[in-house]
Amino acid sequence: MNESIAETRESQGGDRAASPYWNPYLAGVLLGLTLLASLLTLGAGLGASGGLARIGAEVESWFAPVHVAASGYFGPWGENPLSYYLVYMLAGVFLGGLVSAIFARRIEPQIERGKAATARRRLALAAAGGVLAGYAARVAGGCTSGQALSGGAMLLTGSLIFMGCVFAGGFAAAYFVRRQWHD
Amino acid sequence: MIDTYYSTGQLDSPRAFFVALAIGLAFGFVLERAGFGSSRRLAGIFYFRDMTVLRVMFTAVITAMLGLLLFTGMGWIELGSVYAMPTIFGAQVVGGLLFGVGFVMGGWCPGTAAVGAVSGKLDAVAFLGGAIVGSILFNETFPWLGWLMDWGYQEEPLFAFGMPRAVFGLLFTLVAVAAFYFAEWVESLSGGGAYLRSSLLKGLAAALVVAAAALLVLPGDEGAGAVVGGRASEQALLASIDEGADHIEPEDLADRIIAGEPGLVVVDVRPADEYAAFHIRGAINAALSDLPQVLAERKNQGQIVLYSSGMTHPAQARDALARLGYENVWLLTDGLRGFVDRCLTPVSLRSEPLPPEAAARVRRWQAYFTQQQAGARSAASAGAAAREAAETAPAVVSTEWLAERLESASVRILDVRQQPVFSSGHIPGSVRVDPESLRGVVGGVSSMLLPAEMLAEHLGLMGIEPGDTVVLVSGDALRDATLVGMALARVGHRNWSILEGGFARWAAENRPLETALRRLQRHDYHFDPAADWFTVDADQVADALKDSQAVVIDTRPEEYFLGVKSDEARPGHIPGAVNRPYTADLAEDGQFRPIDQLAAEYARLIPAKDTPVIVHCRTGHQASQTWYLLARRLGYENVRWYDGSWTDWAARPDKPVATGKT
Repeated sequence: MNESIAETRESQGGDRAASPYWNPYLAGVLLGLTLLASLLTLGAGLGASGGLARIGAEVESWFAPVHVAASGYFGPWGENPLSYYLVYMLAGVFLGGLVSAIFARRIEPQIERGKAATARRRLALAAAGGVLAGYAARVAGGCTSGQALSGGAMLLTGSLIFMGCVFAGGFAAAYFVRRQWHD
Repeated sequence: MIDTYYSTGQLDSPRAFFVALAIGLAFGFVLERAGFGSSRRLAGIFYFRDMTVLRVMFTAVITAMLGLLLFTGMGWIELGSVYAMPTIFGAQVVGGLLFGVGFVMGGWCPGTAAVGAVSGKLDAVAFLGGAIVGSILFNETFPWLGWLMDWGYQEEPLFAFGMPRAVFGLLFTLVAVAAFYFAEWVESLSGGGAYLRSSLLKGLAAALVVAAAALLVLPGDEGAGAVVGGRASEQALLASIDEGADHIEPEDLADRIIAGEPGLVVVDVRPADEYAAFHIRGAINAALSDLPQVLAERKNQGQIVLYSSGMTHPAQARDALARLGYENVWLLTDGLRGFVDRCLTPVSLRSEPLPPEAAARVRRWQAYFTQQQAGARSAASAGAAAREAAETAPAVVSTEWLAERLESASVRILDVRQQPVFSSGHIPGSVRVDPESLRGVVGGVSSMLLPAEMLAEHLGLMGIEPGDTVVLVSGDALRDATLVGMALARVGHRNWSILEGGFARWAAENRPLETALRRLQRHDYHFDPAADWFTVDADQVADALKDSQAVVIDTRPEEYFLGVKSDEARPGHIPGAVNRPYTADLAEDGQFRPIDQLAAEYARLIPAKDTPVIVHCRTGHQASQTWYLLARRLGYENVRWYDGSWTDWAARPDKPVATGKT
């Protein structure tokens, strides 16, 4: 816990210290109840990458509408890919995160990295990781939220396997990108 | 029994969007409070430095899992009311491994990056941008990913590795509790692990294990609740299967698609790459798992027809939809294979001779269903239809394309400009055709495109054969070329294109010209009498207007549409038609404006690619340009042409007329 942002900020003598994070087990129970509410009302779990992919379809169709309409994956989403429940859910995540961060006084423009790592290196790794994760989420049909959390809670065999593979892939690659966190 | 937005097919409704927004709010709030707005913390788990991710994630999964087991076990909700993602072992293993690498590299996953971005983390913004690019890359590489997306695909989603869910749930809970203590112990080695001996963790662990054990006494997945609700409809379903009332014959379907029957939706449930290679014209593509969402608005409205290569998958899908309350789902008898065999096999290849009427019907189907899938890769399963279609010339060719083929005997150039300008210089080997020579008084109406046999006579005089590729060269009026294109389409000429930029571009590029007139050999042009499925008369326009889906486009200048100007029997327009002057599609040089812009503008006018569209103008001439644009350039699949146009409509006292903006 000694590396958490809250304490870093305190050590930097910020104007007013940020609120501490919630107890992780309490946060987990509340996250689980949010997920359960989603399953019981929408009839579908949480999801984030689905909304990003919809934005991808919208962005690509600004430049090549005919091509997108004819493409195999985005095409069937129709003329208005943003009209989809996961897009609204993603908007909610942004909003909910913002509200929480404001009240916790945790908004601070920064590039989070180890002191020994350059900002450019960290941004490049973040962007490359994003490309990889965005691509992989489409392959698997979901990300940490949609497959691991939601599919895991439904005990879907494929989602449980996905969850195991995420950790396997992460631990396997961790060594090679460790220096971005070195202080 | 709880109905979800998914189970009632309303996941795309504004109310579901609002609920999703509210759930997203709670989701984002909790993620932020858990500390997931920090990439250092998220990545910490991969270095055994900060195990917060493990604690929060596993607590959440177990909490939601136990809750769902309780609701399904008590019969408060059916498991089928919650969308279960398909099980695809290969895609989920490969996707999971890649995702893990992306996660540790980026320090974020999509949901947490959203929270990080609003907390001011620029690396989260970079990650989100990357994830959007990654999604686009997936779409671009999708045609090559068929093997991966099918690798280990299971017909039905699998649960809990085949164990009873509650039993697996208890094991999973025990593993999670062990993981919590492991996480605390690992962190305690470096001075953390604050909860290792806390009563909070003890209490939570005990509560989760006791709850999981207690759920074992509830009925399992095959419990009473899951079946009772569906029993009555199951019986109705079995009865309808028995009567064969749930099948539609290929011939019947073909005729109804061509007629543009309102409310008919045809769904191809094969993988997207097979759909891309060949599909029944007008069909939409949807994975089995997406059907409830895709078809939500069509539930018990109109007729839904499912097909695949064979019969098994659609039958399973129909059963699943029936359980969700759909009563309007039909299957295509013998699937796509049956459709190709029975409707699209050329008359000459059939083992039994067909009576002339039936043969004409087959030719009409062939003309309609094998048209316009140009560029489609021919797959073995697609059969002859796709192979023929693949030979279709592009709708537009460049001057370079034509220059390279000037010597080709099978490429014929038709120049539609006036005689004096043609004689003073034309593209070598071209033949002049006067578009007006292809029109006349037919059925008492002026300026009608001549019947196919007369057009074939014309083409024969020009020495054109059905296998030739015809390139049309326009002067300042693109519509002259497209009108000749209508004539070619009417006789079933497969390969015809328009020269991009017309004669003006050819001349501006200083390409060769000649003034000599070539001597032509007259041929008998054997035309296809059933190729013209697209010309409609006034009654067909009136019928189409009764269908709220159909779009009738009047391409005349606005003042004629409004009725301010008129040179026909009555001023005004067809009630329900929309005005889109043909000139709106043209740039100053008389050629089409950028095609992407036009695509976007028409997308606002026409809801879907398979929407029935009818174009008309005053005489059918200007509308031919819009027909070509929509059908050949923008990929609209069901565009028809009212040749008689306003000349005909205005002179029919039984047809209504509107003026002004309405």
